[in-house]
Amino acid sequence: MRGFTAEVLDAAARAGASYADVRVTDTTSQKISVRNGVVEGVESSASFGFGVRVIADGAWGFAASADLDGDAAERVARQAVAIAKASATVGGHRVCLADVGAFDDTWSGACEIDPFAVSLEDKLAVLLEADAAMRAVSGIALATSDLGLLRVFKVFASSVGSYIEQRWTESRAGICAYAIDDGDVLPRSYPNSHGGGCYQAGWESIVALDLPGNATRIAEQAVALLTAPECPSATTTLVIDGGQIALQVHESIGHPTELDRVLGDEAAFAGTSWVAASDLDTLRYGSDLVNVTADATVPGSLGSFGYDDEGVPAQRDHLVRAGVLTGFLGSRESAVSIGRSSNGCMRADGWNRTPLIRMTTVSLEPGSAGSLEELIADTDEGLYIETNNSWSIDDKRLNFQFACEIGWEIRGGKLGRMVKRPNYTGITPKFWAGCDAICSTEAWQVWGLDNCGKGEPMQVAHVAHGAAPARFRDVEVGVGR
Amino acid sequence: MLAQRAVEIATAAGAGSAEALVVASSSALTRFANNRIHQNVAWTDAGVSIRAVIGGKVGVASTNRSGDEALTQCCAAAVEAARHAPEDPEFPGLPAPRDVTYADRVSPGTVSYDAAARAEAAGAIVEQSAVRGLTAAGGVSVSEQSVAVANSLGVDVAMASTSARSTVLSMGPDEGNGWASFSGRDATELAASSLGDQAATLAQRSACPRDLAPGDYAVVLAPDAVADIVQFLGWYGGSAKSVEEGRSFLTGHAGERIMSDAITIIDDALAPWALGLTFDFEGMPKTRVALVEGGVAGHPCTDSYWAARTGRANTGHALPAPNSFGPIPIDLAMEPGESTPDELIASVQRGVYVTRFHYVNIEDPLRATLTGMTRDGTFLIEDGRLTFPLRNLRFTQSAIDALSHVGGVSAERKMVGEEGGALAPYLLLEKFAFTGQTR
Repeated sequence: MRGFTAEVLDAAARAGASYADVRVTDTTSQKISVRNGVVEGVESSASFGFGVRVIADGAWGFAASADLDGDAAERVARQAVAIAKASATVGGHRVCLADVGAFDDTWSGACEIDPFAVSLEDKLAVLLEADAAMRAVSGIALATSDLGLLRVFKVFASSVGSYIEQRWTESRAGICAYAIDDGDVLPRSYPNSHGGGCYQAGWESIVALDLPGNATRIAEQAVALLTAPECPSATTTLVIDGGQIALQVHESIGHPTELDRVLGDEAAFAGTSWVAASDLDTLRYGSDLVNVTADATVPGSLGSFGYDDEGVPAQRDHLVRAGVLTGFLGSRESAVSIGRSSNGCMRADGWNRTPLIRMTTVSLEPGSAGSLEELIADTDEGLYIETNNSWSIDDKRLNFQFACEIGWEIRGGKLGRMVKRPNYTGITPKFWAGCDAICSTEAWQVWGLDNCGKGEPMQVAHVAHGAAPARFRDVEVGVGR
Repeated sequence: MLAQRAVEIATAAGAGSAEALVVASSSALTRFANNRIHQNVAWTDAGVSIRAVIGGKVGVASTNRSGDEALTQCCAAAVEAARHAPEDPEFPGLPAPRDVTYADRVSPGTVSYDAAARAEAAGAIVEQSAVRGLTAAGGVSVSEQSVAVANSLGVDVAMASTSARSTVLSMGPDEGNGWASFSGRDATELAASSLGDQAATLAQRSACPRDLAPGDYAVVLAPDAVADIVQFLGWYGGSAKSVEEGRSFLTGHAGERIMSDAITIIDDALAPWALGLTFDFEGMPKTRVALVEGGVAGHPCTDSYWAARTGRANTGHALPAPNSFGPIPIDLAMEPGESTPDELIASVQRGVYVTRFHYVNIEDPLRATLTGMTRDGTFLIEDGRLTFPLRNLRFTQSAIDALSHVGGVSAERKMVGEEGGALAPYLLLEKFAFTGQTR
């Protein structure tokens, strides 16, 4: 591939590019889904192509093609430069990039058991066993189980002098039992909603989930929800499980600290941010307990890689330290605005998309509140909720509302009555200021999230969040009830 | 041609029957923000997806690699998947051919709308904000797509379409934001300067927004906001699969009044305003479906699988196989009324005008309870006129309940989004629950 990427970079330079990079990406995927005992889909797919990103006349251009044959290198590089020159006609701004080194390297993600080598029969056996166990629980109207696999080989080369090859495998699996009656559709998921557990790992990660072993428990909870009362409307103490904390971090800390949002580049679609670049090292984001890191080096995490799509090495950085904003998720271009070098957060969703600033593993660092059981025991009164069911947040990432699948009232340090459809709302800095306990390392885990949408055309990133259960004071719950 | 060739290879490889879907596209998007072009992209792709059937067993494989070798490998992968898949006793087989009514949905003006033309349009839009001390963000996009479907029973359809879209968010220094958008088949119909003016004028008008206490208010929703509601109803409730599984607002209500008689929601790929294909991804003709007609619950859309399972006619709403989502309406519209937007506003004593929503999500599919935020032009209505701008509001509201109290529907409608979008009017709802407000 070195010859092809060199050809592209040379062609871009000849056409007038002052900077160019090229990514060749080869992806293979498989998806299998089971619904009420029926195998709904067995699908494999492959996608291959390359994208060229250039700066010419001080502006960006990007062109991509699935065709690498013939004059493709020359043709697509010239197209990217022509597009960049058109970009330069509006605004008069000239792109400036933070420095990056030249790397000649390879990187691979961990994968013990190649999931593509596992037989279809073995994969179906896991899903069908879990499906049967869910449907064996009286009252379950619908059971779904599915898995998804992804293998990526990516080559990056740039006019800076880098040539980087990376390859990794991802595995995802999850189950969901639905209890449905005339007035309610009540899902209960394991290990998480919206696709289940997602890992940069092989088949071993799916085996470790033990989907069949958890199927009966979640199905029984779904049925119990049918007769549970609605979550009452109140302002109360809220204890949130790690999976929902992960999404709370994603929406109210991860996205607002993306520098492209902060600087207005995503304003029209995803929105901007309540955080300004000038807030660095001064803004109070949350309580002293709130420490948030962005780490692209966490083994087995969907947010990990060797180099980002600008050839910047993977890094660990603090976004929030002791409640104060100390960093942003950045790119080579955006980093210039805060006088720093890039912390390597640029990734593209495939060969035909230009990279955007994306989360890596953005984590709420563990606290010292012990286990979930100890945190509940330390809470006199409130509500404990698990597993996201719905999410919404405003265009500055301030006003949010989340709904979860299940909740329990807390009375005297113990879980009490189960409640259905719990939801809560808040304003980002007020909510995080109310965080007064975070469980310890033993309750902390990395939650993969493979559906983070951003940008136009829409790109879906695979990111992750380390999180443990945490407690928040004075939260409005039962909204709209 | 490629689709038929793929079907031949798949059947030769051992498929009892086979279907091929070929999609080729060429797209470009010029994005601007902070009054400059900051992203400008173009890409082409072509892929084939094979559905191989052996008895009641089905396997699917797809690739975007070109050439006979890649096609043969892809077909073999589909056949191999089918061989190892369990039987689905309810799989009805691939559909037999039916007559398709084609429409001319290619605009030469869109095909030739190159990077220079997009930059010129972006420049004209930005200029309207820049001269007023505002900043503009948005995009100008064009797309050309060809789709062909063939199967071994004789289905053989193909069609091309183009689409163009432009969006503008104009932002002022005093929290004033304004929005405008264009969607159509022909990029040369984009009046860029006018669109930029519309957004900038709204941004100026919405400066210095005020607070509003949570509560129930009458609302006048502009088409962008109405389209969100129509799409959530269609996507989550308009499928025979969601109805059959008890997850739809239509479940158990066919023929019952569930909304105001002013509300009719249809899906009609053959309508002149529709942007996309007139057949679905199984090559079946799309037919008009009324999800709600005069407030009465109608019938959901189907594909070949869910038509057979439910005993309904196949309405031609299949997504590409395998499809765990079920059939889905993607040419949605709310039928117009007779009012003008100004008449709707004039009839409100105290209420809220909403330009568009942001980040809407569903909390309860049976009541279609939605939550989301307003953005880019929210105003208080007092005594029949917009008095002052409001900070963005959060709503938590059953769409079914909201559409049961309709004060009026405009005759004017607007296409919002590209294929998969919706044609929507202005709408006056007499009671809409705002449950919070942003800072």
